[in-house]
Amino acid sequence: MFGRQKPQKCRIAPGIRGLCISGMIIAAMAATSHASSLDEQIERLNADITRHTASVHALEQKLLHPVNTRVAVFLSLANRQALELDSVELFVNEQPVTAHLYTENERSSLGQGGVHQLFIGNLADGRHTLKAVINARAANNRFVRREIVHDFRKQPGTLRLQMTLNAKAPDYEPEVSFVEWK
Amino acid sequence: MNGRMSLFLRNSIGVMTAMLAGVATPVANAMDNSLASGVVRFALDTGEASSVVGLAMKLEGESADYLQARLMLASGQHDEARAGFEGVFNGASHRGEAALALAEMAQEDGDLTGAEDWYQQARRTGYGEVVQKALLGLAQLARIQGKTDAAGQYLARMEDGYWAAVGYMNLAADFARDDLDSSRALVSLRVAMAMAAKDTDTSRSRALLDQLNLRAGYLALGSDDYDKAIDFLEKVSLESYHTPQALYLHGLALSSKGNHRAAMQSWHRAKKFPLAFPGVSDAWIGMGRGYDLSGYPGQAGESWLAANAAYEGERVTLGKLSERITAEGAYKALVQDARSDDIQWFLADNRTLTQPRMAYLLRFMEEPGAQVAVRRVARLDEMVATLDASKYNLEVFIQALEGFMASAGSGGAASQTVVLEQQQSDLESRLNGLVEQAATPAQVAELRQLKQSLAGAGRRMGALNQQVVQRPERLETVLDDAGALRDATKDLRYKTLSLREQAARELDALALAFVKKQTQRMTHALDKTEQQIAHLYEYLALENLGEGAQ
Repeated sequence: MFGRQKPQKCRIAPGIRGLCISGMIIAAMAATSHASSLDEQIERLNADITRHTASVHALEQKLLHPVNTRVAVFLSLANRQALELDSVELFVNEQPVTAHLYTENERSSLGQGGVHQLFIGNLADGRHTLKAVINARAANNRFVRREIVHDFRKQPGTLRLQMTLNAKAPDYEPEVSFVEWK
Repeated sequence: MNGRMSLFLRNSIGVMTAMLAGVATPVANAMDNSLASGVVRFALDTGEASSVVGLAMKLEGESADYLQARLMLASGQHDEARAGFEGVFNGASHRGEAALALAEMAQEDGDLTGAEDWYQQARRTGYGEVVQKALLGLAQLARIQGKTDAAGQYLARMEDGYWAAVGYMNLAADFARDDLDSSRALVSLRVAMAMAAKDTDTSRSRALLDQLNLRAGYLALGSDDYDKAIDFLEKVSLESYHTPQALYLHGLALSSKGNHRAAMQSWHRAKKFPLAFPGVSDAWIGMGRGYDLSGYPGQAGESWLAANAAYEGERVTLGKLSERITAEGAYKALVQDARSDDIQWFLADNRTLTQPRMAYLLRFMEEPGAQVAVRRVARLDEMVATLDASKYNLEVFIQALEGFMASAGSGGAASQTVVLEQQQSDLESRLNGLVEQAATPAQVAELRQLKQSLAGAGRRMGALNQQVVQRPERLETVLDDAGALRDATKDLRYKTLSLREQAARELDALALAFVKKQTQRMTHALDKTEQQIAHLYEYLALENLGEGAQ
């Protein structure tokens, strides 16, 4: 029942249209320059806030974690293809101290050599036990949950424990090696 | 990296951490360099740059300058970052990454020649993903300049995967715009599909393949190749942003082949989606047209009347959305309230595609200007949250320090220290006596261990005494620092809120313009259905007249 619909004729004369378009371009340029100046202001503010937050963070570190009792636990990956890390739960002397669920971005960073500072806290000198529960998907598409226990001795001064996660073919069983940095 | 540049970078970061003087984290002092580099890299990759400023300053080794330049970029110091990356490029390590960063910075500044030079350098000096990104950047620059052949040559050198697929999809868009014939564009889209299929990220690959199939289906439909169009469109998944449009085009291809019943089935499915999605309003009109072409004018009239009611309803929804944007701001009305925080997680996906507000948000975010405006407000909100957290922490510290200083003045600690020193001295004498009496090797070993522990306790006591002597001055300094930081937090918060207001105003203007455009789209659709209904009544009236005349 319907024929092809006729195209509408141009309702705005070409000259006026040219003026309108020039006006729109000028308005768009003004908007762009305004937006870019706003972006510049935001960048400057971001620099100030980064500086400021770093100072607050440093003060916080100094007040909350005295050097002699400080313990920090780090996590890194030895082989980026072997394991897709899902989450890590950390216990010190059987007390849960932290748990972290990894995002895609964080996993990617760990795969490229990033090291995650999982925990920072204070411990008295002497013997302690660290337990890490690793949840991950191995390269053979198997979901694994493993508990790793590490005994260590805290001495005066800051102790840094680096956990390096690895899984070797063919069974991709997660292994964790510990390095203590004094 | 040369020494001059290294010095420049260190000075720049030195300025950045000037306020850290005296309170720099001791972790940084002794931490192994590889561990420190890893921690800085992780913080930069995850957007937590401010927590590693002190650590980054002390980095050494081959990655130090590169990470420091990245830190500059992350903290908004573009000129310093540019100088840093140039220094890294003139060195021995991370040359490709530095060139890529410089290319991206040049492109952001609109310097296309500079960007091309840096992309070429990144391609020449980089490895793996850096080379892929550089090739994609070069292809994009060639496209911008209208050199589609050169863009194709760069893309041909890329490895199969997501980024190559995106490059070919963009190239297909250029071909579709420039060519009268769709064959070149379709070939590009087919190559893009093959590349996207090799992407290891399955959800990303699926989303891109949906978009590619939709585009290919649209092009095939435009070339009157209906079977090919149907073939492409049937590959679009039913849970995608592109589903309603694909269903509408699928129905159009079937209708063009004369299969109106099947076409109406597709349009009926498209109608289930909110009217905000592309293709849904057309599917409502299509239903009426399908009935009409199948010889059911009564049903056609009812369909168009139903479409009219739906468009009217949508105009009311848009009017309310516009009112909410004016009252509460676009960020709250469109972005925050569209988040599914009051719904069970297992229903979240379903809700995403059926909620009109989420549908309008997705459509609004298709525009690059809108993405930038929303990101600006979100970023400023994050800054306010960071400053609020800093303010809270500082207030707690100041309160605790003031309390501690009051208790330190009472002199209780000094008397405790004297008692402990006496205990230490007694224990040392007893231990020395026992060492002389030790007979078996086990006793000797045990006493040696006890001696070590006691020596450790003595060292700590000595250090504590030193700290106690210095404590009042140190606490006062820290308290002053905390007070100064709290005042700075207030100033920065005020500045951030002022910029946030400005950014929110720009976002509101964009959102209101978008809603106005959508209202016009609904008005236009309403005009179309009314026109169809008028045609139908006219036709029926003429038919009645004809029957009456016979």
